[in-house]
Amino acid sequence: MSIKVGIDFGTSNSGVAVYDGQHVRLLPVDPQNVLPEVIKTVLYITRDYRTSIGQEAVENYYRDNVNRQRRFVKQWAGEIDVYGSDMHYVRDIYVYVDELQPGRLLQYLKTALRKEKYSGTQVFERFFTVGDLAKTYLSLLKQRAEDILGEPVHSVTLGRPVKFSELPEQDHKAQETLRQAAHESGFKEVDFELEPIAAALDYEQSIRKPQNVVIFDFGGGTLDIAVMRLGDPHRREVYASGGVDIAGSDFDRTIIEKRMLSHFGLGRVKHHPEILEMIQAVPDWMALPYLGTPINKNILDKAIQAGIAPIQVRALRGLIYNDLAFTFYNRVEAGKIALSNDGATIISLEDKDIALWELYTRHQFETDIQHYLGDVEKVLLDTIAKSGLEPGEIDAVVKTGGSSNIPLFSSMLARIFGREKVRESNAFTSVVAGLAIKAKM
Amino acid sequence: MSFSHKIDEWMKEAETRPESAVTIVKLIARRLRELTERNEELLAENIALQNGTRVEEYQKRIAHLEYQLDLLKRRFGADEALLAELPARAAEISTLSLLVYNTYGRLFRLEVDPGLQTLGRILDETLASSEQPRLLAIPSNEEVLLLFTSGRVSTCAVSSLPAVEAGGTWTWDQAALPDEPRAGEMLACIMPLSHLPLSEFFLQVSRRGCVKKTMTSLAQSILGNHYLGKSTLQKSDQPFDVLLCQKKDLFAFVTLEGKLLGLDVDALPYNAEDRIRLTASDYVIASFVPHPDESMIFVTQTGKVIQRASDNLDLSKSGLAKGQALIPPARLEQGVRFIGAASVREEERVVALDATGSLNVHLAEAMIGAGSIAAGGLVLSIGVLSPQVNP
Repeated sequence: MSIKVGIDFGTSNSGVAVYDGQHVRLLPVDPQNVLPEVIKTVLYITRDYRTSIGQEAVENYYRDNVNRQRRFVKQWAGEIDVYGSDMHYVRDIYVYVDELQPGRLLQYLKTALRKEKYSGTQVFERFFTVGDLAKTYLSLLKQRAEDILGEPVHSVTLGRPVKFSELPEQDHKAQETLRQAAHESGFKEVDFELEPIAAALDYEQSIRKPQNVVIFDFGGGTLDIAVMRLGDPHRREVYASGGVDIAGSDFDRTIIEKRMLSHFGLGRVKHHPEILEMIQAVPDWMALPYLGTPINKNILDKAIQAGIAPIQVRALRGLIYNDLAFTFYNRVEAGKIALSNDGATIISLEDKDIALWELYTRHQFETDIQHYLGDVEKVLLDTIAKSGLEPGEIDAVVKTGGSSNIPLFSSMLARIFGREKVRESNAFTSVVAGLAIKAKM
Repeated sequence: MSFSHKIDEWMKEAETRPESAVTIVKLIARRLRELTERNEELLAENIALQNGTRVEEYQKRIAHLEYQLDLLKRRFGADEALLAELPARAAEISTLSLLVYNTYGRLFRLEVDPGLQTLGRILDETLASSEQPRLLAIPSNEEVLLLFTSGRVSTCAVSSLPAVEAGGTWTWDQAALPDEPRAGEMLACIMPLSHLPLSEFFLQVSRRGCVKKTMTSLAQSILGNHYLGKSTLQKSDQPFDVLLCQKKDLFAFVTLEGKLLGLDVDALPYNAEDRIRLTASDYVIASFVPHPDESMIFVTQTGKVIQRASDNLDLSKSGLAKGQALIPPARLEQGVRFIGAASVREEERVVALDATGSLNVHLAEAMIGAGSIAAGGLVLSIGVLSPQVNP
């Protein structure tokens, strides 16, 4: 019988673990990462369709892309039929394509699963469906796990959020797409477990008597909550579960929108809709490279020459044309993470044409994301209410996921349940550890 | 959002969490220092622009670039008319200078006479105990780039440096000071600039083996801003060397304790990255671009010469490698240390500076054959007398 693994296919990070009945073994699937047991959920596909994941993908992306040359060619993309009252004609559509683009880095693969209108993306000559992207990532992850274990892996328990989507059909579709992707990547047997329940199974290893537990799984893509009875494996019960599409990536976006756009001309550039459109695209780093067309460069060059916020517009040009968006986004994320421990941090980016420096405090961060607090608190209290328990009847609240370390939400949990009941768990590995335990059951 | 509003927000953080005030002050103070330094550089640049120094510098650079263009045309046979001028220029190129420089920015230029075995002697009692001088052979009509430990760079024409008479004795007081290091910085290395138009990358290596490559397409901005960067990750680390290379080249560096590390330039990242695990007392003493038709030589302080074929260089794939040991650990315990390494052809000559201050010339073939070089004292530094003239 082949080994069965647990895989946490997270929005920002993933992981693989196995359980032997006694101990959970987290597999070091990304030796280049600071935490080798955690691998970034990023996929890099080169022009010749070589693929890499995790830190290797990031390195390859930096190596091939930052400050690279570009050469745009006009390519026929299709045609559209134009109908008028008494006429009809067909018009050709052309797009500018950077023929020197060496590869594409894809992030938030899991988020793509739950987007109703997103079917996939064109990577050079091929169209990759959402399932293809997930399959490619899982295949490479499976390969790494097999290399470490020294034997083939045919079975997996995959984690999934409580809700991929509010729409039941979309939720079902997302899970089935992920299941199909796992099958196509070589897993013969695939089952699922809710991520907060997996985190609960990991926590259960550390308790001696039955408890009412709230799992607060706040990661990169979603907030998942489960209210459970734990401690007796024979009488384990899920009272209620809930979730909402708020998480780390939303906070990063908010920081950029509220604090960073002024460095790229927001507030200074007026009456130039093309430039304003580019500025508004900054929070979406995956879309930003596509703005790097000759027409846009011409617009930005002219604005710089005309003295329209020249420093900020030059920084915008640098961000787009030197492929610095991913670096910038990572700096913002690193700043956000630093504020979980420190009262203030610096978000900076110094490169060709860019000298961005922003002192960012926890007070500012909490003000910026304040509007999310109400939504999070509401979904938490709704889930508790659904469970039929009162907050006072909860014995422990287990935090997991990177965003659960944000002090604003830790304080909220302490306020509702009492500080002594809030338990820390390993933010990045408790879900995968629980999935490995589930896989063994 | 106005700046005063931002300050109000910082104040609110300090009021809410007084412990944050210290962090905020530290971060602002650090920024203030950076901005002060940048302001000083800009003021200096302003002065240079106002008094015309910068214009002269650019005129020199344009002249140099025109010369580079001539060389390129000759290399690719693009301009027949220029070939007629070749003999006059060839004579100019054939003058080879040896630069001997120390970390304080002091520099001797010797015009090398091919017949001399001893090029001269530096009188300095602290020579063996202080940071060892380094040697660079370069055609007299070229330009060099000076890299300082702060990451600052400057350029100067070799011909603008006063030459000392070969065969004489000198003290460092007589040495030229083309660009005096600023407070807190030292001269890290000098690099010939002639291959810049034909090279794809600047490749930097630090004392602790941190490597970074930078595209030469950024040269205009680097030279214009007088800043290449330190290529270090640790505060205690310092830049050691900078080289020009192509994408397909290999790169090697050697440490004091005889660790050799080979790297594929194409695979190197653009970010500074530590590439070797060193002991606390170890550091990089030489770096070079090995070529397939050349031999790598490694010289110890006692004059022992170890030779390896360039195609025997093992390339490191991992992020942080141990390096290839050149000598067994027992020899290290006996105190053997490396002072220099280079990639040479057998017909080339190698100049060695010993602890008595003498600069002696040796034929590479003879050095490799004998396995050692004769020196008056401990060997301090070596340099290859290969005129880096474009063929």
